[in-house]
Amino acid sequence: MRGAKQVLRYALLVPLTLLFVSPLVFMLVTSFKTPNEAVQTPPTWWPDPFTTQAYERIFNAADTPVLRWFANSMIAATANAAIVVVTAALAAYALARLEFRGKKVVFALIVSTLFVPPVILIIPNYEIVGRLYWLDTLLAIIVPTAASAFGVFFLRQFFAQLPRELEESARLDGANRWQIFVQIVLPLSKPALATLALLSFLTNWNDFLWPVYVLFSPETQTLQAGLSTLQSANNVRYDLLMAGAVVASIPVLLLYLLTQRFVIEGVSRSGLKG
Amino acid sequence: MPSVSTVRRGDGLVAWLFLAPYLVLFLGFVLLPIVLGVWISLHNWDYTLPGKPFVGIDNYSNLLNPDSVAFEPFWDAMKATGIFTAFSVPLLIAIPLVVAMVMNQKFPGRNFFRAVYFAPYVLGVAVVGVMWRFLLDRNIGAVNSYLGGLGLPDAIAWLSSMPAAWFALVGVTVWWTLGFNAVIYIAGLQDIPRELYDAAKVDGAGRWSVIWNVTLPSLRPVTMFVTIVTLIASANMFGQSFIMTNGAPAQETRTAIFYIAETGLQNFQMGQAAAASWILTVALMLLSLVVFAIFRARGALDVS
Amino acid sequence: MRQRTFANSALSRRGFITVTAGGLLVAGCGGGKGPGGGNQEGVGGFTGEDYAGPALTLAYWNGFTGGDGPAMQALVKDFTSNYDNIKIENNTVEWLDFYQRLPAAAQAGKGPDVGVMHLDQLATNAVRQVISPLDDLADSLGLAEDDFTDSVWGPGIYEDQRYGIPLDVHTLAMFYNQEHFDKAGITEPPTDAASLEEACQALQAAGYQTPMWMPNLWPAHLMFLSLLWQFGGEPYAEDGSAATYDDEAGVQALTWMREQVDKGYSPDNVDQDAQYVAFKNGETSITWDGIWQILDLESVALPYGIAPIPVIGDEQGAWANSHHFFMTAQAAEDEDRANAAKTFIGWMSDQSSAWAAAGMIPARDSEREGAEFTDSPQASLGDQIEALHFLPPVPGLGDVQVQTLEIAVNEGVLGRRSAEDALSSQASDATELMEQNLERFGA
Repeated sequence: MRGAKQVLRYALLVPLTLLFVSPLVFMLVTSFKTPNEAVQTPPTWWPDPFTTQAYERIFNAADTPVLRWFANSMIAATANAAIVVVTAALAAYALARLEFRGKKVVFALIVSTLFVPPVILIIPNYEIVGRLYWLDTLLAIIVPTAASAFGVFFLRQFFAQLPRELEESARLDGANRWQIFVQIVLPLSKPALATLALLSFLTNWNDFLWPVYVLFSPETQTLQAGLSTLQSANNVRYDLLMAGAVVASIPVLLLYLLTQRFVIEGVSRSGLKG
Repeated sequence: MPSVSTVRRGDGLVAWLFLAPYLVLFLGFVLLPIVLGVWISLHNWDYTLPGKPFVGIDNYSNLLNPDSVAFEPFWDAMKATGIFTAFSVPLLIAIPLVVAMVMNQKFPGRNFFRAVYFAPYVLGVAVVGVMWRFLLDRNIGAVNSYLGGLGLPDAIAWLSSMPAAWFALVGVTVWWTLGFNAVIYIAGLQDIPRELYDAAKVDGAGRWSVIWNVTLPSLRPVTMFVTIVTLIASANMFGQSFIMTNGAPAQETRTAIFYIAETGLQNFQMGQAAAASWILTVALMLLSLVVFAIFRARGALDVS
Repeated sequence: MRQRTFANSALSRRGFITVTAGGLLVAGCGGGKGPGGGNQEGVGGFTGEDYAGPALTLAYWNGFTGGDGPAMQALVKDFTSNYDNIKIENNTVEWLDFYQRLPAAAQAGKGPDVGVMHLDQLATNAVRQVISPLDDLADSLGLAEDDFTDSVWGPGIYEDQRYGIPLDVHTLAMFYNQEHFDKAGITEPPTDAASLEEACQALQAAGYQTPMWMPNLWPAHLMFLSLLWQFGGEPYAEDGSAATYDDEAGVQALTWMREQVDKGYSPDNVDQDAQYVAFKNGETSITWDGIWQILDLESVALPYGIAPIPVIGDEQGAWANSHHFFMTAQAAEDEDRANAAKTFIGWMSDQSSAWAAAGMIPARDSEREGAEFTDSPQASLGDQIEALHFLPPVPGLGDVQVQTLEIAVNEGVLGRRSAEDALSSQASDATELMEQNLERFGA
C-alpha cells in the first residue's frame, strides 16, 4: 500500500516538475542560438551552432544594462522591505502595547485601507511622484509603497499575542518603551519580521506596472521594466529576448537557491495566524 | 496577571513618535493620493498640460453612459478582468491545494520539488511573460510544435485569438503562482494538530472522509487568506496581458488595470483614468466583502 | 548661473542615485522644468555658426531600435569626432514607449535636449510645450520650401512656427522573394491589383501555399491608409475635427485586405510580426512593410526585391511618415545648450544622404539626386515618392488612431466584423475623441 502511494505521488510530481523545469531549460538553450535558429520549427534542444552572440549584443549595448537592472531591482526591493519593516514594526508596537488618545481611530483608519485596492493610488501617486521630481529615480520605486497597512496589521497581531510578562518586568526594571521594544520585543519577533520583509521584498521585486511607467532611462530601470523595454524593441529577436531573460533570471535563481529554505518558510508563515 | 498594578498614564508622546515614520508615509502616499485621486477624477487632468478644467462628474458619467465613447473600452476591460479572475482564481485555489496535500508528508526529494514549484514566482512577471510569449507563438513556438508532434492541432493562435488567449493567460498565471499558494497551503496543513487526524482514525473514517471533515475545515483560515490574496492579484492582472498579448485580439485581453494605465499614463487622460480606477475599486471592495462574508458564514473566522 | 544649470541637468540626467541608509531620504530634487513652463518663443538668434561655448553633453532621444539603429549611431559618432566640445548621450527607446515617456520626462525635468520624432507627433508635443520652435535654425540652414515636397514641409509647422527639421521620409514598400518569383515564373513585380492577383496564383501553383500574409496588427493600418488614399479617400479632416475613413473608399480598401485572407493567400490569424518573420524565413513570398526593414533583410542575405506598392485603387498612393529633429523646451532655457543643440541638428540634417544607408529616403529633393540615394534599394520606389501621403498635424491624433483605426483594421482583417461595420463604428468614436481633443488642446 505504501509503495503504491509513493508511486502515485511521484507520478504526479515528476511530470509537474518537468512542466516547470523544461521551459526554463528551453529558454536557456535558445539564448545560445543564432537569430535564425531561434525561430526555427521544430525547435532544437541543442544549438547548432552554439554561439554567444546574443549575450555579446546584450552586454555590449548601452541600452540593455541587464546587470544594472538587476542591481537596481535588488537595491529597490531591499530598501523598500527595510522601510516597510521598520515603519510597520514601530507603528504596530504602538498600536499593540501603548495607550494613547486616538488609538482606535488610527488603527481603524489603517485597517480600512487594507481593503482599498492599490489601483486607486496609481494615477495620483504618479502625479505626486512627478511633482517631487522623483520620476526616473529609484526613490519612486522605493518610497510610495513603503507604507504597508498589511505590515502594520500583521505585526500588531503578532505583538499582541506575545506574553506581556517579559515587557512588564522590564518596565519595572526601569526600561523605557524604546528599550523594551528593541531589546525584548524585536528579538522575539524575528520570524514575523522576516516574513514581512520577505513578502515586501518579493512584492517590490515583482512589481511591474509601476516601474514600467515611472522609470525610463536604461540606467534606472529595474529588471521588470528593462526586460519589457527589451521586448518591445526586439520583438522578433527571440535569441536576444531569451538571453536577456536568462541574464535577468540567473542572479535571482542563484540567490533563491541559497536562501530558498528561508524564503519558503517565511512565505508559508504569512497565511498562519502568527 | 500582573502582581503590581501599573498606573498607565497614557503613552501619548511616545506612541506618536513610534507612529510617526509610518504615518508620514501613510499620509503622503496613501491618504493624500486617495483624496487627490478623487480630485483628479473631477477634472480633465492632463499631466503634461497646464490647464486642468473642472468637469464635475463628467468622467464618471462618461464611463457609465452607454452612449459615450469611453463606455465600451472601459466595460470591455472590466469584463476582461472578470473573465480572467473567474477562471484563474478557482484553479489557483484548487490545484495548489492538491499539490500541497500530495506533498504533505516527508519523502525523498520533497524539498527539491517544493523549491522547483516556487521558483517561477521569484523570477518575476517580466521573465515569465517574455519566456511564455516565445513558447506560445503561433508559428515558431515550441508549444504548437509539440502539439503537432502529438497529432493535436498545431496552429493555435495562443496569443491572438479567442478563447485561446484566455487559456494562455490563465495557464501561465497558474504556472507562475502555483508554487506560492502551494507553499502557504503546506504550512497550513502542517499546522493541523495530529489529534484531529488520530480522532478521525479512531472513528474509522476513510481517506476522503478525513479530507472532507478534518483537513478542509481546518484549512479554512488559510484558504480564505489564499483566496483573498489570489483574488486581488487576479483582479490586478496587468503584466501577463501587457507582455504576452498586449491586450490583443482587438483589446479583448486588456484588463481594467491595463485600461487605466493606458488611459492615464500613456494617453495622459488622468481624470478619466482616476474615475475608472474608483469604479474598479468599488467593485473590488464589494467583491472582497462578499468573499469575507462567505468565509465568515462558514466559520473561518475563529480568531482568538 | 550657466554652470549651475549645466550641473543640475547632468545630475538629473543621471537619475539613478546610489542609495545608502542615510541617503535614503535625500530627494532627487534637481532643477528642471516646472509644469506648464517652457519657452515658446525659442531661444532665437541662431546664426548657423558652430557651437563655441563650454563643453557639455546633450541628451539625445530617438526610437531607432531596429535595423536603422546602427546607422544612426554611426552618424552620432561622426558628429562627436567633429566637435570636441559637444558630447552626445544617446537613448534609444522603442517608439511607442518614446511618445509616452517624452512628455512625462519633460515635465519631470528629465527629458532630452534633442531628439528625433515622427512628423505626426510634432503638433502634440508642441501643444504640450515639450518642444521648442526652430525657425531660426531653419532659416540659417537655408531650408527652402522648394527643396521639399509640400506634404513633408507643411506638417512640421504648427501654429505658424516650425518645430521640426526634416531628416528623412519613409514609406511602405512591397518586398518580394526573388527566388520564389523566379520559381513561379514571375518576371516583373506586380504593379496593380490584377497583376498582384496573377502573381499570387502563380506562386501558389509553384507550391507556395500562402504567398502573401495579411497582418492585422502593425503595419496593417498603414496598408489600409495607403489603400484608402489610392481609392481616393482621406482618413481625417485637415482641421482635426473628424475621421472620414468610413466612406466608400475605406470600405473598398479594408474589404480588399480581408479578401486576400478569404482567397487563401494569407493564413487567417497572423500574430504580431509573424508575417515579417515568415518573409524573412522564406516561408512567404510577398510582404508589405516599411523601408526601414531594408537593413534587416540585407543582414540575413535574403534574395529580396523591393518595389512600389501596387496600385490596388484608382491611383498610386502610399502612407508615409517622416523623422524630424526637435529641440526640447528644456534645452531652450539655456543659451549654450540651445546653441549646441541647434549645431547638432544642423549638422545631422546635412547628412541626410548618408542616412539613406539606413534604408530611408532623404527628405530634401536635392539630396535625392546624390549617388548614395540613387544607388540604394529604396530608390526603386521612384514614382511612389511623388504620391506620398502624410497624416495632418493634429495634436493627439496618434493616440486616437491607436484606439480606433487600428482596432477597425484589426477586426476587419480578422473577419470579426464587416469592413463597413468596423470602419463606421470606429470612425464615429474617433470623431468624438478628436472633438474632445480639440477642446483639450485647443487655443
